[in-house]
Formats: sequence, structure tokens, C-alpha cells
Amino acid sequence: MSRTLFVRLSAGVIALGCAWIAYTQAPAPQGKQQAKQPNNTISKVAEDLYVIIGDGGNSTVYVTNEGVILVDDKFEYDGQDIVDKVKSVTNQPIKYVLNTHLHGDHTGSNERFLPTAEIIATKNARDNMVKNKAPGLMRVVFTDETDIFLGGKEVRMKYYGRGHTNGDAVVYFPALRILASGDIGANNGPNVDYANGGSMKEWGATLDGVLKLDFDTVIPGHGPVSKRQYLIDYRDVATKLPATVSSMMRQGKSKDDIAKVFMANGGLWVNPNVVNKLDQIMAELKN
Amino acid sequence: MKRTLLVFLALGGAWVAYTQNPQGKQAPAQAKAPAPFNLIKIADDLYVIDGGGAGNVAVYITNEGVIMVDDKYEQHFDEIMANVKKVTNQPIKYILSTHYHADHSGGNTRFSSIAEIISTRNAHDGIVQHKQSNAPNDMIPARVTFTQETDLFLGGKEVRAKYYGRGHTNGDAFVYFPALKVLHTGDMFTSASPLIDYPGGGSLLEWPQTLDKAMKDLDFDTVIPGHGPVSKKADLLTYRNNADKMRTRVQTLIRQGKSQDDVAKVMTAEYNWQPGSLNMQWSLPGMMTELR
Repeated sequence: MSRTLFVRLSAGVIALGCAWIAYTQAPAPQGKQQAKQPNNTISKVAEDLYVIIGDGGNSTVYVTNEGVILVDDKFEYDGQDIVDKVKSVTNQPIKYVLNTHLHGDHTGSNERFLPTAEIIATKNARDNMVKNKAPGLMRVVFTDETDIFLGGKEVRMKYYGRGHTNGDAVVYFPALRILASGDIGANNGPNVDYANGGSMKEWGATLDGVLKLDFDTVIPGHGPVSKRQYLIDYRDVATKLPATVSSMMRQGKSKDDIAKVFMANGGLWVNPNVVNKLDQIMAELKN
Repeated sequence: MKRTLLVFLALGGAWVAYTQNPQGKQAPAQAKAPAPFNLIKIADDLYVIDGGGAGNVAVYITNEGVIMVDDKYEQHFDEIMANVKKVTNQPIKYILSTHYHADHSGGNTRFSSIAEIISTRNAHDGIVQHKQSNAPNDMIPARVTFTQETDLFLGGKEVRAKYYGRGHTNGDAFVYFPALKVLHTGDMFTSASPLIDYPGGGSLLEWPQTLDKAMKDLDFDTVIPGHGPVSKKADLLTYRNNADKMRTRVQTLIRQGKSQDDVAKVMTAEYNWQPGSLNMQWSLPGMMTELR
């Protein structure tokens, strides 16, 4: 191995490590954050479409001449910063907030937006929020698909099945061929939230459905804006990994062995969250 | 028996009124003046606004606003507002559209600036593509659409809008009030014989199946039809069976080799489908093809 390659790999590992730490510390329960300062940047992805990256999940901003459609609204302390960032690119008000799933790093500012915007999520996402006594319950939910028509533009929100939770929606911008994937495409791993109906086993099939949409660009729930191939690779890993684990379990391999394979073959998903959840993942894949 | 006869006659009268005063922009010149507006109480928080020769509007009152089903023709805006104000000071926040016809969604033109209107995706497309030949040109579609189900939560109450398949159009929503066990069927159930809007994706073949799915899925006692008096679940079942009988009758005629004119004569004699009516324009040619 050349020295250069070693340095590069080391740098990569360190960067990933930092990302884990940032992520695992990020979704802390709300209320414990003491006057946290928002740290976000907005950047242009396409004509009229922006992404706000920084705290919590990525927020997507779609500007129309009748208002803004926002995907996900980060933590509670990011609300004003989201409004400010949107104001830096348009004077249009935020009319719709589409939540990709229930988690507080994607729905944290819902309470702030509820009086002035329509917030929409899947029925399962709302049911999970009710169960968890989460704040910012939306008034409008859907089961399979909802489309928003605003200012001559269309946004399509679809549910394809279980993965990160049992209520993950993807948001598709047909005119731009862009997809906001939420956390079924987050770059920080197959973080299966079993308490909220997630599934490792079904994740790959869910992404098969998502990939039927015609898009070039992916805005993941976390991580940088990527190409379609990113989600194809993600799907491939999500499909292969549970099959590998099932087969190892049938062969009587130990949990440690399975953890190693997970870490080694996890592809995008070399993530301590996965190992912490290994008992649950193994329980699901035993059936 | 007497009671049954009376109901039958009443339904027949309503049916004649309906078929002669159908979903167009304007009532035909020979038709009677549109029925006066009536506010009918179903529960403390649920009312029906009947009248105007347009679809039944449901008014569901919550302490965070009103959820309405359908909004009649554009010119009925003031009447609707006045009737809602009789029973609540809450603003109208949401309108669930049962389908795209102007006698149910025409009011969108006025209401879209004050309320969030939600319909099926197909109902939205029906308005955008102007599939209703006699509808106004400036109709406004819903901004929020759904394909299978959308639920609204307001003031601690829930309303469910569901799509079960083709029938009157290809985008008919049923609106269900779970706490009250009440169902608004839109024009999948009216006091008239089925009007199948084939240009708008309707299907007589699928109509009974669509009603079967709704009746199987939802637990309700009271039915608000698209047009006509508030009814019971048993009435919806009767309507479903009559729709199926009509389908069988027409299919038999077509398979005997009867022409469209022959079938038209039977429809006039047995179902009061008048020459030139929307039934004859929208339903008959489509039935001849679909039921062949």
C-alpha cells in the first residue's frame, strides 16, 4: 500500500469517525438542548431548489411564485434559521412542510410552522409521533401518495414501504428529476428504528420502489447531495446485507462474526449504530 | 308498504329533478328553479347543506375550524357561507372534494383562497384537463391531492378521505367521519340512477365493486349521498344492487345485439334517462363499449 493511499484512507476513516460522533450525538431528545446555536448553510441544487445542510436532517427548499415547499425542518432551535435561510433566496413564505418521517431532527420545527404552513407526513409517521408524544403533530396525512400543486409546480410525496421506520416518505420533484430521500437514503447507515416500525429486511425492497422514480440527483436525509448511483449502491447493500446475515445465522455464526461482516461489508454503512442494533436486526432476520 | 311507496315516490321525484338538473354550469332552461337551501342537522357537529341543484355539502365543526365536503357551484359561495355561519363561528379550514364536477367543486374558485382544498389526484387532473364538457373554464383544482387515502386531524377530530376505485368518475373520494359513523359518498350514491362519466374515467362495471370495497372497509350507519336525502347504510346497499342490476340489464341488451338507439329507448322507459340528458351524453356511449 502506498503511503499516499494510506494517508487518504486514514483521513477517510477519521472523517467518518467524526461524522458518527456528530450523528450519534445529534438526535438527542429535544428539550435537553440549551439554547443551541444553529449551524446551517443553504446552497443551490437546481433552479428554484435549495438544500439547507448542517444541523439534523437535510432540509430541501422548493421555491414557487405562490410560496415555498419545505422538506423537513430540523431541530426546534433551527426554526428561525430555516426561515432566515429561505429569506436569503426568496421573499415567498413557507406554505408547505413535508416531513419525511417522525424523528425530531426532521420534524423539530413543526410547532413553529404549524400556524402558518400545512405540514404533511405519512399516516404512520403521525401515528408514531402520537405514540411517542412528540410535538408538532401535522393535520394532514396520507398513506400512499400525495401531490402538492403550487405556483404551477408539482411535488410528489410517496410511501414505498418499511425501512428506517414504517412511515418514511420520499419527496420527488419531477420537473427537476431530484429526489429528497429522507433517512431511507441517509448516508449514516441503516439505522433501523424498530420501535417505530423500521425493517432491515424490507429496506432494499422499499428502495427498489423508490428507484422506479425517474431522478438524477438525490438529497439524502443526512449527507451531501449525491447522484442516482448513490441510491442504487445503497439499495444493493440494503438488499445484500440482510441476506448475508440471515445466511450466517443459519450457519450458526456468532454475533461477533456477524458484527465483523457488518462492519467489513457494510459498504456505506460502517456505522456503530448498526452494531448497537445488531440484536434487533438479528431477531428480525431470524424469522 | 305505504311508507315504502312514499319513499319510492319521493326518491323518484328527486331522481327526476336530478337527472333534469345535472352537473352543468347552468340548469337547462326548461328545468325548475334550483331547490332552496336547507341546513340539515346530522349530529351536534355535523350538518348537510342541501340545495341549489348542486351536490350535498357536509359541514363538520371542530374547535379549530370547519372541515367541509364539497363546495357546490361557484355562485353558491354566499349561501354556503351564510349556512355555515348559522351553526358556527369557526372558519372553513379544509374542503374535501368528492370529485371534479362543477356542482361539487365549482366553489373551489372562491374557497381556494380561504381554505385548503384536498381531492384525489384524478379529480385534480379532471379539472386541469377540463374533462367535464359543460363545466366553467376557470375551475380551480385542489393544491393537495392523494391517491388512496388522506386523513385530516383538526380540533381533536378526524376525517378520512378514501379512494376505492372507479364508478361515477375515476377519482371519486368517500369521506368518512369515524366518530359519528357517517359516510359522504359523493355521487357514488345519489337519489338518481348511476350517472357514469365515461369521459371522466367512470365505469359502470366497476361501480358496484367500488361500493363493495367502501362498505367492507368502513363502519358507518348514516350515509350522505352526493344528491338526495340523508340515508342509511341499507339504502347504499340497495343502490349498489340496483347499479348492478342496471349493469346486467344493459349488458344483456348489448349482448343480444341491440343498437345504442335500442338501449337508449330502454334506458328512457326504465330509468327515465331523457334524450339529450347527461346520462345519454356521458354514460350511454361508454356503456356500449364497456359492457360489450
